[in-house]
Amino acid sequence: MDRSGHGRPAAYLHFLAAAFSANLQAVAEYRISFLIQVFGMMLNNAAFAAFWAVLISRTGSVGGYGFTDVMVIWALTSTSFGIAHVLWGNVRSLGSIIQRGELDVYLLQPKDPFVNVLASRTIVSAWGDLAYGYLVLAFLPGTGPERLALFTLLALGGSLIFASVFSAAESLTFFLGNAGSLSQAVTEFLLSFSLYPETIFDPGMRWLFYTLLPSGFIAFVPLSVYRNLDWPLVPVLLAVAAVYAAGAYGLFRAGLRRYESGNQVGTRL
Amino acid sequence: MSVIAVEGLSKTFRTRVRGEGLGSSLRALVRPEYRAVPAVRDVSFSVEEGEVVAFLGPNGAGKSTTIKMLTGILTPSSGRARVLGLDPCKDRTRLAMGIGTVFGQKSQLWFHLPPSDSFRLLGAIYEVPPADLARRRADLVERFGIGAYMDVPVRKLSLGERIRCEIAASLLHAPRVLFLDEPTIGLDVVVKREIRALLGELRSRDGVTIFLTSHDIGDIEKICKRAIIIHHGAVVVDESMKTLKHRALARKYIGVKYARPVNLDLPGLPPVKKTEDAGSFVVDTRKHNLQDVIRALVNLGEVLDLTVEDEPLEDIIAEVFGGRTEAEARRAARAGGGLES
Amino acid sequence: MSRRPDPADGGTPGSPGTLASALRKYATAALVSLRSRLAYPTAFAGSLLTFGLFVFVFSRIWSAVYSTQAEISGYDRAGMIWYFIVAEISIFGFSRFYSSLSEDLKGGQVAYLLARPYGFTAYHFSQAMGPALGDSLVLAGEGVLLGLLLGGPFPVTSALQGAALVLSLLLAACLQFFLQFAIAMTAFWIEENAAIFWIYQKLALILGTFLPLEFLPPGAAAAARWTPFPYLSWAPARMAVAWNFGDGLKILAAQAAWAAAAALLCRAVFAAGRGKITANGG
Repeated sequence: MDRSGHGRPAAYLHFLAAAFSANLQAVAEYRISFLIQVFGMMLNNAAFAAFWAVLISRTGSVGGYGFTDVMVIWALTSTSFGIAHVLWGNVRSLGSIIQRGELDVYLLQPKDPFVNVLASRTIVSAWGDLAYGYLVLAFLPGTGPERLALFTLLALGGSLIFASVFSAAESLTFFLGNAGSLSQAVTEFLLSFSLYPETIFDPGMRWLFYTLLPSGFIAFVPLSVYRNLDWPLVPVLLAVAAVYAAGAYGLFRAGLRRYESGNQVGTRL
Repeated sequence: MSVIAVEGLSKTFRTRVRGEGLGSSLRALVRPEYRAVPAVRDVSFSVEEGEVVAFLGPNGAGKSTTIKMLTGILTPSSGRARVLGLDPCKDRTRLAMGIGTVFGQKSQLWFHLPPSDSFRLLGAIYEVPPADLARRRADLVERFGIGAYMDVPVRKLSLGERIRCEIAASLLHAPRVLFLDEPTIGLDVVVKREIRALLGELRSRDGVTIFLTSHDIGDIEKICKRAIIIHHGAVVVDESMKTLKHRALARKYIGVKYARPVNLDLPGLPPVKKTEDAGSFVVDTRKHNLQDVIRALVNLGEVLDLTVEDEPLEDIIAEVFGGRTEAEARRAARAGGGLES
Repeated sequence: MSRRPDPADGGTPGSPGTLASALRKYATAALVSLRSRLAYPTAFAGSLLTFGLFVFVFSRIWSAVYSTQAEISGYDRAGMIWYFIVAEISIFGFSRFYSSLSEDLKGGQVAYLLARPYGFTAYHFSQAMGPALGDSLVLAGEGVLLGLLLGGPFPVTSALQGAALVLSLLLAACLQFFLQFAIAMTAFWIEENAAIFWIYQKLALILGTFLPLEFLPPGAAAAARWTPFPYLSWAPARMAVAWNFGDGLKILAAQAAWAAAAALLCRAVFAAGRGKITANGG
């Protein structure tokens, strides 16, 4: 039933562009609040940057990571996180949307509900996170157009992984009733591990970074790709990101089937 | 082909029984107990194109559950439903293109944006070609009188203005069926009248089939031509409004006023209210012949005014809602005698 | 000016009766808050998680740093980890004053409470301190556990040191309260004053929490001693891991002085703000 004469993918792109534009306009209503939040974020990042600068100047390197290395993983994590929340602003609100019964509005519209609900919001402050990565790179040596392009691609992959992990944790609401604390924990863990040198953690832990809390694919592997301009690994990382996205989508659909059967705890009739 | 065809539709929820206290919680972990809650039982009806149907029932009767099954949000336990020939669960996305929904608290308009931006977004969601979108938008804006609000953020609109925009928004993609849930709740009398007129116009001008849930009798009386009443999960009434009013309960309300004081105590029919020269009576036409009653009243003295009315729809429906079981509700609808004992 | 501000409990400030009743009151409030935290664990779980995660991550950082050297600026590995734990107990446990105070102030309760100026600050102090102490107790429990697991043996070896540590934490709590209260009261002039609080928070982190003062470049460290920030976290952490009587006394004195100064600042800000409110008609 394609009315506008476009193919399905084109219709979706058009829809996403329209959702994004609507998001931007909603945000423009709150300019001051946006600036303040961005300021707060920059302040926080600056504090950590100062910490690392002082520490590494005293100790040389930490876990084989120099100051630039730490700054690059901060940049990757920050921009990835930012892109995820700019494009898919509801990734961490999905659980409460489900609980409040607000998912129905999206189910009643002729677009995939997962895509629809996630794209229907943008997080104001995430623009700051997005920009921060580039800001950091601007101050680091060796940044040129090639590195910036590489960084952008890596961050896009990272953003897909962030969005997938967060929305998957939130989708557990379908099964657990209230996944708020779990999702919060996942966010904290994932962010924390993506902002510190991989090598300070025991090898016994590091398998985690390539499975449930994929800091490895968001920060650590991209770091080495970025440093060594290892372009061939980029499609691999993007493929990995796609796998995470597929997993998140599958989990949501499974939860949605449960929701539609109406048998979840606390059914609102 | 019917626009909505429902056959033997049923939905039973399985909810986990949660006991109180630690002991039963632990037991529930190991061996969970379920309780089956039948919300909708064997519901069947069909709606033709262009009909305006009121879907009524007290809270907990199974209204929302039925509508959710019709729109594809809930999968039925058994039976089948077809809307526009499609299975709402299997073809939900396709069906969404052909139906519009205005559901109470759930707004399709973005809260912080003016309706015009939401309209644009909805145009993209429903894949409405730009030329059609512009044309329909202009038409709806004019008919619903919302031109002044199109550029005001939704959060600043009054409820009445917002509802009008919501209904207009739900029609952008020219749906053939419109599902409305409590559209006039919280609105003042004037606005209600406007909305009802607009909905009536939808049917007459555009041939849109309207499926309306409401607790407001005025909505039902003024717009709908047919009522389906659901109670205890089953359909207890499915008739045209006319039939419902005239046949469901055999009661007539008579009010009479005289030029001079009279004795209003008719043998076998005391008045429910009386003054020196006026009185009102409730006549069960199964027990008393209406003509006899009127003749008797007229013979009492010089009549200044005489009114004969049907039982208000509200009372009829309240009686049906009051039935504690499906059988009772049905009986209330049939008034115990006349058509079924 | 007394070292520890007494709430308006009646009686003359500084008299033993008032002090004892004040202590009893706080102990009760702390216990009540503790019980409510345990009754609704999920609400507090977020803080416990974040605290635990931070301690874990930093213990890994310090382990990596100390893999090549045994001592930096007078701290060894175990010392650094315990330092961080104690510093974070202070920072985590006593950081919520601003937000609850802000809520109260912006919620419009102000006009009603303005009637008793001394009571205003004291009232909020007694309301806020109980729960904060309760929180810190729980965090301290978690911190000690993690410290034993990740850092090494418990660094407090004498009762005197223990008492000094507790006193230092209490003074840090008071200092946090008065500073955050003063910042919250800037709401009288600036509605969006959250930014000021954030700057305060970050400075507290850099100057003594993430890194001991001794780690900072000499210029920064010297400048920092003229600010209250080291006395929020570095002070109690020093009590725990680098205790000696003379230094300890000096630090406690500095903390007390800062707490008193901050209390006076509160008074001043409040007086100025009250003028503004009554001028605007509430």
